[in-house]
Amino acid sequence: MLLSIIRKNDKLAAKRNPSFERNRFAKFIIYFMVAFWAAYLIFIGITLALGLKEGIQNMEAYHVFNQFIIYLLFADFLLRFMGQPATSQEIKPYLLFPIKKNKLIDTFLLQSGLSIFNLFWFFLVLPFAVITIPETYGFWGVILYLFGMWLLFIMNNYWYQICKTLLRQKTIYLLLPAAVYGSILAVDLLPKTNYFGRFTMNLGEGFIQGNIIAFIGVIAVILLLFIINRYMQIYLMYKELGKVEDSNIKRVSQFKFLDRYGEVGEFMRLELKLCLRNKAVKHQVRMGFIIMLTFSFVLAFTDVYNGTGMSRFICIYNYAILSVMTLGQIMSFEGNYIDGLLCRRTSIFNLLLAKFYVNCFILLIPFAFMMIPVYKGKIDLLMAFAYMLFTAGVVFALLMQYAVYNKKTIALNATIMRSNRGSSFFQTIVICCALFLPIIFNSLLSSLFSDETTYIIMLITGALFILAHRIWIKNIYTRMMARKFENLEGFRETR
Amino acid sequence: MDINIKNLVKDFGSKRAVDIDRYTVKSGEMIGLVGNNGAGKTTLFRLILDLLKRDEGDITIGEWSVNETELWKNYTGTFIDDSFLIDYLTPEEFFYFVGKMYNISKSSIDEKLEKFTRFMNDEVMDTKKLIRNFSAGNKQKIGIIAAMLHDPKLLILDEPFNFLDPTSQSVIKHMLKDYNEKTGATIIISSHNLNHTVDICKRIALLEHGKIIRDIDNSDYSAGKELEDYFEVKE
Repeated sequence: MLLSIIRKNDKLAAKRNPSFERNRFAKFIIYFMVAFWAAYLIFIGITLALGLKEGIQNMEAYHVFNQFIIYLLFADFLLRFMGQPATSQEIKPYLLFPIKKNKLIDTFLLQSGLSIFNLFWFFLVLPFAVITIPETYGFWGVILYLFGMWLLFIMNNYWYQICKTLLRQKTIYLLLPAAVYGSILAVDLLPKTNYFGRFTMNLGEGFIQGNIIAFIGVIAVILLLFIINRYMQIYLMYKELGKVEDSNIKRVSQFKFLDRYGEVGEFMRLELKLCLRNKAVKHQVRMGFIIMLTFSFVLAFTDVYNGTGMSRFICIYNYAILSVMTLGQIMSFEGNYIDGLLCRRTSIFNLLLAKFYVNCFILLIPFAFMMIPVYKGKIDLLMAFAYMLFTAGVVFALLMQYAVYNKKTIALNATIMRSNRGSSFFQTIVICCALFLPIIFNSLLSSLFSDETTYIIMLITGALFILAHRIWIKNIYTRMMARKFENLEGFRETR
Repeated sequence: MDINIKNLVKDFGSKRAVDIDRYTVKSGEMIGLVGNNGAGKTTLFRLILDLLKRDEGDITIGEWSVNETELWKNYTGTFIDDSFLIDYLTPEEFFYFVGKMYNISKSSIDEKLEKFTRFMNDEVMDTKKLIRNFSAGNKQKIGIIAAMLHDPKLLILDEPFNFLDPTSQSVIKHMLKDYNEKTGATIIISSHNLNHTVDICKRIALLEHGKIIRDIDNSDYSAGKELEDYFEVKE
């Protein structure tokens, strides 16, 4: 009874998520992505099965596959961090009902074990099993193998629950999964050992053959993890309930140098604090920086992107990636306090100016990194400079158009999956234009002029847009104000 | 600062949320807006502040039509709910931020904040806490103070007594009354607390189903009986 209520509520929560319910395009994108990944995994499953059957002579394909189960479980473990909440997070709304806490925890744990998410990797495993197992062990071999694999994913779910719950208490607990997976990898890398590979190969074989010990062994581990989870959830429940996401801040940064820039400077300061103090924003900026720095390093220190076309693409992408992540959902975070901003005169205009300046300033970082490949003679200084100005002028002008149409609030401190994200049609168009228009423009110019002329034209175009930034930002602001009520309604409904 | 409302209509689907033919708030008046849940109080505030599109009618604050210019914003202070707070700032940072929006220096803000010392009760300043980590009551205090920092000529507060402890309720009552008397500012508050409203507002508008059904003179602070009868408040 309780289990069915919780399952029903879970389904309703997903179905009634504002970004899903109100946005047909987001709905389409979500279904499309699920279908894409399902098709992709099925494709890998089939290709892998056929490839291993053909390519390996002295071993069965499933023997080879089963040696890598531990890595599949690791991938599953990581994937769960994207969206699966810890049981202790979900339990809160039910605690005041006249239900025993132990029963509630058991039910939630059971629910997470029975979750359909534990079948996600079947898109890969099922086709693989259907192609490789029946020849030797027939239909029942496939069924038993799939059942065994399902048990492994349930086991992984409870292992994840332990790690996630501990991690919510203290970051130091990251050492637990790091130690476990690190040890596995270290043992696996030792020459002529392959203990884990052999173990999982035999386990898989045991499943296929219906070896009762294999199943009982996994079920015993599931029970053990379930019990550990149970005690841990009971012990940590009250800590979780009283949890404040971020307690006192240790140091209040003032960014005093921004004082001299008046109201715009104040909004620049706000922009910096937005990035530094909110989990969702911080995560996004960090990801952008990591990607940006990775490309910069790869471009600077390796020969991977040595072709002119590829260097150009990476160079432009490198400049645009962080701003695509931030300006690509411009105003979504401000949606949380947009009413307060709108009650003060011209504050939105100054906010837009501040966003432009902060993003321009950030562009200096990839530009600095570009100096290494420039020094090594891999790319022209003129190209690096021209692309930077083109990004600041044209790409930013494009991305910021989304401020006019965006009416979706993103929670400042939610995880990616729970933060009400999801692309709108216009957002997708704007991001695609921001990423590909410079390449198309560049290619077009290159086909007509020399490289140097192309860069100069891009440089001048970018510089003109930068010089005119107050005009086009004013235009965005005016159009935003014209749609103010519609956007406000959207922001409020998605809060 | 006068507020003039003419033929104001706002519908949500088939439901008429606000329907006011004519209503005028004169400069320096302190008005209490009372009504049951869903009567349209917050909607009316949002319409006055141009945060919601009206279907018909006109609203002016002072000489300005609210949807034609933003000049009235310089003289208006308001706090409706948490969406008026930037919750990843500390209270001090938020107050300075608000100050900057009205060209008020940090030192002036510090001076102005001294007036609110009793209201803050040592729980708001110097805590190094972000606004989102404060209790609902303290968030309410931060919002009200931020709305009053620039000495607005028009102050609009939605449910200012909500979440506040009894002492703070008493302090805010006196604070608002004093502010109205000393500065001559127009103040509009909405509240479910009839006693507090009657204690401080000389005029009370009773809103039901979006209509102002009674405009009660409370200059002798005697509207309590009429309101209690209307809301059927019984011992």
